[in-house]
Amino acid sequence: MQKVRVLVANRPRLMKDLVLATIGDQPDIEIVGQAQDREEIIELVERTRPDYLIIALEESETRPGLNGFLLGRYPNMKILALAAERNSGIFYWAFVDIRSRRVESSEQGILNVLRNRPELVAG
Amino acid sequence: MPVAQETVAVFILAENRLLREALTRILNKKSDIRVVGASAFVPEIAQQIAQLAPDVLLSDSAAAALSELHLITEIRTAVPGLKVVMIGMEADKAIFLRLVREGIVGYVLKDASAIEVAAAVRSVANGEAVCPPVLCLALLEEVAQQKPQPARFIVRHGLGLTRREQQLVQMISDGLTNKEIAGQLNLSEQTVKNHIHRILRKLGASDRFTAVELCRLPGAVA
Repeated sequence: MQKVRVLVANRPRLMKDLVLATIGDQPDIEIVGQAQDREEIIELVERTRPDYLIIALEESETRPGLNGFLLGRYPNMKILALAAERNSGIFYWAFVDIRSRRVESSEQGILNVLRNRPELVAG
Repeated sequence: MPVAQETVAVFILAENRLLREALTRILNKKSDIRVVGASAFVPEIAQQIAQLAPDVLLSDSAAAALSELHLITEIRTAVPGLKVVMIGMEADKAIFLRLVREGIVGYVLKDASAIEVAAAVRSVANGEAVCPPVLCLALLEEVAQQKPQPARFIVRHGLGLTRREQQLVQMISDGLTNKEIAGQLNLSEQTVKNHIHRILRKLGASDRFTAVELCRLPGAVA
């Protein structure tokens, strides 16, 4: 079985630990790296070519160019942006243009996205 | 010296569901910590927590926003002895100091690791306080700015003074002049003089300061 390859780049630290705790024990998910900032994200995405990037929602909102840049350059990758304060996240993927869908910021919400559950991924 | 508890019972109050779920799993992996409940804020949360009787309440900063409602105070009243640790989004001095006044004994920032959160739970359960250095400085500065409160003067009973006269003795002991007493009690200065004259007569005192000493409850003032 091919594992889903995930790059984790959440902030702040506690949110990253919670995401790692959620997906770290899953047999079908492989964590390919952890990035701290924009430069590391770009570098590690290029080097590891993950299936998914999990990022802080605040990062994608305050730096709107990052999602567009990454999905434009790596259209097969999908991005899950999780809020530290709010109880929600946004799932981004490229399909001709960039599409997005709101998802729940919960353990099951994250795993549903990474396991490509059709009810969540279908636009 | 405080003795470490065998197992610390923790309740997680957090608006963020991922924080509730993943932190519950992380803490439950520790042999000395047991999460007895986790919930977002609901109106009856204080009663819900009281029923589970945790040692420590771990709450996120969304609940801090609810502290305008004195939520922490309400929960601490419902669960005597409860230690509260707040997970703060930012090192905001005003929010931190307000929560300290409400009775929190631990504060960790979201830059902290999950291991540090677990350590904070253990520390407060063991009778210690936990605070990021930058907020610890804010706390020290706040205390340094506070004026020392004058020692509380307790009037001895059985001297035949009325309640109003006892009140005046208190105010004289605080160093207030007749004019200041009159202003605070909304009386004329002459009425205050009359009250003091009666106090001196009842106590057999020659002046107001002797009257204060005669009224002082032995050992009641530092």
